[in-house]
Amino acid sequence: MTATQRRIVLPLVAFILFLALWQIASWVFAIPVYLMPSPLEIVRGGARLGPALFSNTLETLTTILIGFALSCLVGIPLGVLVSVNRLTSEAIYPLIVFLNAIPIVAIAPILVVVFGTDMTARLIIVTLIAFFPIMVATATGILDTPEEMLDLARVAGASPLAEIITVRLPHAVTFIFGGLRIGVTVAVVGAVVAEFVNANKGLGFLVTSSTAQFAIPTAMACVVMLAIISVLLYEGINLLHRMVFPWSIRRVAGH
Amino acid sequence: MLAVPEMPNAALAATASAAEQKPLIELAHVGVTFQTKRGDPVVAVDDFNLTINKEEIFSLCGPSGCGKSTVVRMLAGLLKPTSGDIWIGGGARARGFSEVAIVFQRPTLLPWSSVINNVLYPVRVLRRVTAADRTRAMELLDLVGLADMAESMPNELSGGMQQRAAIARSLILDPKILLMDEPFGALDALTREDLQLDLLDIHASTRKTILLVTHSISEAVLLSDRVAVMSARPGRLQDLIDIDIAKPRSHETAAVPAFLDYSKRIRDDIFGPRAKREITR
Repeated sequence: MTATQRRIVLPLVAFILFLALWQIASWVFAIPVYLMPSPLEIVRGGARLGPALFSNTLETLTTILIGFALSCLVGIPLGVLVSVNRLTSEAIYPLIVFLNAIPIVAIAPILVVVFGTDMTARLIIVTLIAFFPIMVATATGILDTPEEMLDLARVAGASPLAEIITVRLPHAVTFIFGGLRIGVTVAVVGAVVAEFVNANKGLGFLVTSSTAQFAIPTAMACVVMLAIISVLLYEGINLLHRMVFPWSIRRVAGH
Repeated sequence: MLAVPEMPNAALAATASAAEQKPLIELAHVGVTFQTKRGDPVVAVDDFNLTINKEEIFSLCGPSGCGKSTVVRMLAGLLKPTSGDIWIGGGARARGFSEVAIVFQRPTLLPWSSVINNVLYPVRVLRRVTAADRTRAMELLDLVGLADMAESMPNELSGGMQQRAAIARSLILDPKILLMDEPFGALDALTREDLQLDLLDIHASTRKTILLVTHSISEAVLLSDRVAVMSARPGRLQDLIDIDIAKPRSHETAAVPAFLDYSKRIRDDIFGPRAKREITR
C-alpha cells in the first residue's frame, strides 16, 4: 500500500470501526432512541425525510456559499486596509474588533426583525461571523511580507498600490487560505444559527423542528449532513489552494 | 535627492586616477542620523563625501556598523539623508530600475513567479511587458548561465543560481547605477568565487557603474577599480584606494604582489588601532 492509499484507507477503516462500535453499543446497552440514536436509526431518520433532506441541504449550502463569498469580499479588502496604512488601521480596527465582539447568536433575532425573514438576514449573519478570521489572516499575511521584498518593490518604483498587488497580496496567499479554512467552517455554524432563529427550510430549521417533535434520529441525520458539508467545503478550500497557488504550499528555501 | 547645479568637488575626488573619468554619483557632506526609540540620536553617517565615476566598480569596505548599507539605501532612494546632498548625473532621472538597480544580500526572488518573470519584475512595475523585454530577459539569463531555468520556480534553484537570477533582474532595465549590498555574502565560499568572476565578466561586457558593499577585503581588491574604506560610529570615509591591477583579473590575481599590498593597506585601515596585536601561541 502506498502512502497516499494509506492516508485514505486508514481513516476510512477507523471511521467504519467507530460506527460499528457505536451500533453494537446501542444494541447491547439498549440505549433509548431519544437519548442517542444508533447509526442505523439515524440513516432511517434521514430516509424518513426523503428528498426533503437534499432540498433542505441545498438550501443551507446556498446560504453558506453566498455568505462565505460575501465574507471573502468583505474580509480580504478589510484585511488589506487595516494592515497597509496606519491611519486606516487606527481608524477601522477598533470598530471591527467591537463588531466581532458582539455575540452573533444574540443579535441574530434582532437582525431578523430588521431585515425580515428572507435570505438577507441569514446572509448577514453568516458574513458577520465568517469575515473576521479571513480579515485577520489577510492582515497578518500583509504585515508578514519580508522587508527586502518591499525594498525591491520600492527601488523598482512601485506605487503603494502596485506594492500591494505585486508583493504583499501574493505573499499573503498562504495566510489568506488559512483564514478561508477557518472562515468556511465558521460560515456553516453561522448558517445553522441563522436558520435556528428564522427559516422555514434548511437543515438548521429541520434540526429545530424535528427535535420539537422528538424526532431525534431525523435531527441527527441533519447534523450529519451539516458535518459532511463542513468537511467537503474545508477540503474544497484545500484543493483550490493546491491547484491555484501550488508555489505557496512548499516552503521556499531560505525562509 | 537634490540636484546640485555646481558639483561640489570633494577633496577626495582628486585622488581619482584619471582626469578624463566622469563622475556619475557625488555625495557631499552627507549625514544620516537615526532617532532611536529611547530618544537619543545615533549618527550612522557623518560628513561623508564620495565621488563615483562612470563605468567603474567602486567598493565600500569596512566593519559592520560603519554605514555602508546606509549609503546604499540612500542611493537606492530608500532613505533620505539628514543633511548634505546626493547628486546623480547622466541625464534626466528615470524611474525604478532604469535609474538605480539593486542586488541584495539575499536573492529576494518572488517565490510565486517563474525565474523569467522575476527578471521581468522591474519592467512589470513600470509598464506592460513587451516581446522585446522577454527577449532581453532571456539574453540576461543566458549571460548569467540560467537560460534553461527560465521557466523554473525560484525554490527549484540553488542559492547561487537564485543570486544569478537576481543579478539578471538588476540589469533588465539597463540601469545607470548598479548597487550591490553584500551580494555574495550569503553564498558558500566556492559559489562566491564563481560569482565574483562572473561579475567581472558582466562588468566587462556591460560597462555598468557598480557600487559594491562588501565585508571581504579580498573581494573588494579583486573586483574594484577603487575601494573606499569606512570607519564605524559615526560612518566616515577613512581611506580611498585606487586598485591599479590590470584587467581582466582572475583568481590568480590574488597572488600578485600589488594585490597583497592593497589587501594589507585595507586591513591596516580597518584594524589600525589593533594592528600591532600579535597572535600568541
